[in-house]
Amino acid sequence: MSFDLMLIAASLPKITTGVVLTLKLLGVSLLFGTALGIGAALMRISGSRLLAWPSFAYSYVFRGTPMLVQLFIIYYGLSQFEGLRNSMLWPILREPFWCAVIALSLNEGAYAAEILRAAIRGVDQGLHEAGRALGLSPRQRFMHVTAPIAVRLALPAYGNEMIGLLKGTALVSMIAMNDITGVARTIVAKTFAPYEIFISAAIVYLSITWVIQHGIRAAERHFNRYIKQ
Amino acid sequence: MSIAWVENFLWGSLLIVRVFAVALVLTVAWGMLGASAKLSKHWLLQRLAAAYTSVFRGTPELLVVLILYFGSAVTLTWLTKMVNPAVKFVDIPPFWAGALAISLIVGAYATETFRGALQGIDAGQTEAARALGLSGWQIFAHVKLPQMWRLALPGLGNHMSSIIKDTALLSVIGVEEITYTAEMATALTGKPFSMYMIVAGIYLCFTSLVVFSVARLETRANRYLVKSQ
Repeated sequence: MSFDLMLIAASLPKITTGVVLTLKLLGVSLLFGTALGIGAALMRISGSRLLAWPSFAYSYVFRGTPMLVQLFIIYYGLSQFEGLRNSMLWPILREPFWCAVIALSLNEGAYAAEILRAAIRGVDQGLHEAGRALGLSPRQRFMHVTAPIAVRLALPAYGNEMIGLLKGTALVSMIAMNDITGVARTIVAKTFAPYEIFISAAIVYLSITWVIQHGIRAAERHFNRYIKQ
Repeated sequence: MSIAWVENFLWGSLLIVRVFAVALVLTVAWGMLGASAKLSKHWLLQRLAAAYTSVFRGTPELLVVLILYFGSAVTLTWLTKMVNPAVKFVDIPPFWAGALAISLIVGAYATETFRGALQGIDAGQTEAARALGLSGWQIFAHVKLPQMWRLALPGLGNHMSSIIKDTALLSVIGVEEITYTAEMATALTGKPFSMYMIVAGIYLCFTSLVVFSVARLETRANRYLVKSQ
């Protein structure tokens, strides 16, 4: 048994194509997931039970079940319905990429909703009152007082959530997609060199994690620039 | 139509409970070790613990499971072949490899939770205990542990949910839990959506049970605290 560095070098081009797919999934799902999360968080704080309940149920169900199972329900499960198979949506739902994006986004949205809700709640009530005293409308108060502070409060948790999403993208290898993990698994199946290949893949993920962490830290510094330490 | 698969869901659920029990014990062990190392004065222990948490929190769960199982299998096979060249393949039983992998991942998060809880205990408590002549171990067991338990509970609840959800990954190394059952049952019934919805339902029951139990434990752990206004 040895650690074959040549094998790692030979596998790098393939792993790079995996990186592209992983980043694509991460970017698209982050976009859709954040949009969903904002919507769900606003429903939760709306004060209307009719809106708050579905949002609570959504977060609860998606946070309480494994993402792999959600992915399988969407990718394998939906083909059970003939009506859906004949519908206009099928060309999208047939594609592993879009199934993965749907599962990742729904999952991300559920966590983002909780983070954003907590952040909005964390904004000092006095600021709200000050806004009202200045004659700002509820909408203006939210957009110019609450939201900017909430974004700042949500950032650290949101950074962790992005890393969670990155790790979640590895699950798409279970529906035969060639992301970083998928490529690594294919190479290991051929060469049976799990240490070399899987550890290289792990290093790639850790590098992406590092970039995300530092990006978030830079964003935090930017948003906190008026706060005295 | 055979309904033998119903029984398999039951066995699969039982298996999840067994993985959960083993992984939880190990998670708490890694978490306590990690937290103690992070808070120790020795730089090497601090570095090791920091490396442990950043590696296991930044690598996808699926990849950790694959590295641990296939990596250990390659090493064990290599070692056995030195003794007996006729042997083709030796592995750690997937159940144990899986439980170990999950515990190492969640243990990295538990390290941070326990560290926070240990730091959250008022320094005056330790000083008072020392003044009473308690030994280092007595201080830990009778003063710190009962108080950190209260502070660590909410985080530990989340970690318990994570352990449960991560068991879904173990079908990839051949542990016959309910995601695997659903795959088999789909081949028999041709109803993938229904089968994976059963899986999601079972997981939701488990995670709800955890949330409920932890809430009860929190009330119990905080029963002597005076409620603040």
